Amino acid sequence: SQQFSALTEVLFRFLTEPKEVERFLAQLSDFATMNKISLGPLKNIVKSILLVPNGALKRNLSSEQVKADFIALGLSEEKASYFAEQWKVNSPTLTRLAVGQTLMINQLIDMEWKFGVTAGSSELEKVGSIFLQLKLVIKKGSQLENVYVELTLPQFYSFLHEMERVKTSLESFS
Amino acid sequence: MAALRDAEFAALQSLLKAPSKDAVRQLCQECFSSPPAAFGPLAQRACPGLAAGPEEAEQLVSALHNLTRHVVYCGLTRAEDILSLFPENFHQNLKNLLTKIILENISVWRNEAQASQISLPRLVDMDWRVDIKTSSDSIIRMAVPTCLLQLKIQEDAALCGNNPVVSALTVELSKETLDTMLEGLGRIRDQLSAVANK
Repeated sequence: SQQFSALTEVLFRFLTEPKEVERFLAQLSDFATMNKISLGPLKNIVKSILLVPNGALKRNLSSEQVKADFIALGLSEEKASYFAEQWKVNSPTLTRLAVGQTLMINQLIDMEWKFGVTAGSSELEKVGSIFLQLKLVIKKGSQLENVYVELTLPQFYSFLHEMERVKTSLESFS
Repeated sequence: MAALRDAEFAALQSLLKAPSKDAVRQLCQECFSSPPAAFGPLAQRACPGLAAGPEEAEQLVSALHNLTRHVVYCGLTRAEDILSLFPENFHQNLKNLLTKIILENISVWRNEAQASQISLPRLVDMDWRVDIKTSSDSIIRMAVPTCLLQLKIQEDAALCGNNPVVSALTVELSKETLDTMLEGLGRIRDQLSAVANK
């Protein structure tokens, strides 16, 4: 059962940081060597085990339901409980990751700004008007696109006002 | 810097043949707003009786355009300043009439010049809506509010002539992104009021 808890730990560490694929594979191969199991069968077992938490995440299963699933699949009560415990601890992180993976259209990644004064132009020798320039970095598909926009001062204040209304609206739905 | 060359002032004297003061007024307004490329057609349309031929008509239009633009560029607001632009021997009544017309239109023309100056694409409109995401392929049941912001952006007016290109950009913001954005916008507002209070 110590083996099982060590394996579970490796599994959850991967689930909470899905980008650390190499680390996960390295830890699996260490586990295999330490416990004198060959890596191939271990990988297959792990693949099957990972199906359970992934399905559970999709369907928002509680830890009791996860435990019941494992028992139905033939795992001992003790091991299933242990896994379910780990699940309960990690599920907020895992849920947040799943929500984060949800489709976003033209996601705003970053915003840079500068404002200044127009001193003069080819039509007017002295101007003295304030301009505000925003650079919006937007993720379109897998690429980043920069959008440049200029706003007048009244437009800026009305933009700010609208964004504050959006914030109030989002907060009331959280 | 001299406003106009002598030949241009000479061309302006053709206005003495204008049918009425309103005709002169109308012509001044059209000449100010017209880009140099459109002088030819404007000259043909607006000054049939004023000039001896098409070349002289175009010279008149060009001279009026340059005179009005010069006044707007220098930001002249007083009658004396405008009167002093004309040469000594310029027809007195015409000089006074032109000065009067220019003074009447100066603030409208100034706004027009400012509106048409070069700039980055400008924001013309913005709309938003708040959606609640209830389900996706990665998680079947959730209730995540998200904001969709649509910005209508117009390309540089000078590049587009009379057909401004307006593109609509729809951007999605999560609550965290919106909070960060509001923080940034708040900082801009603070800096703006600091500058305004100096």
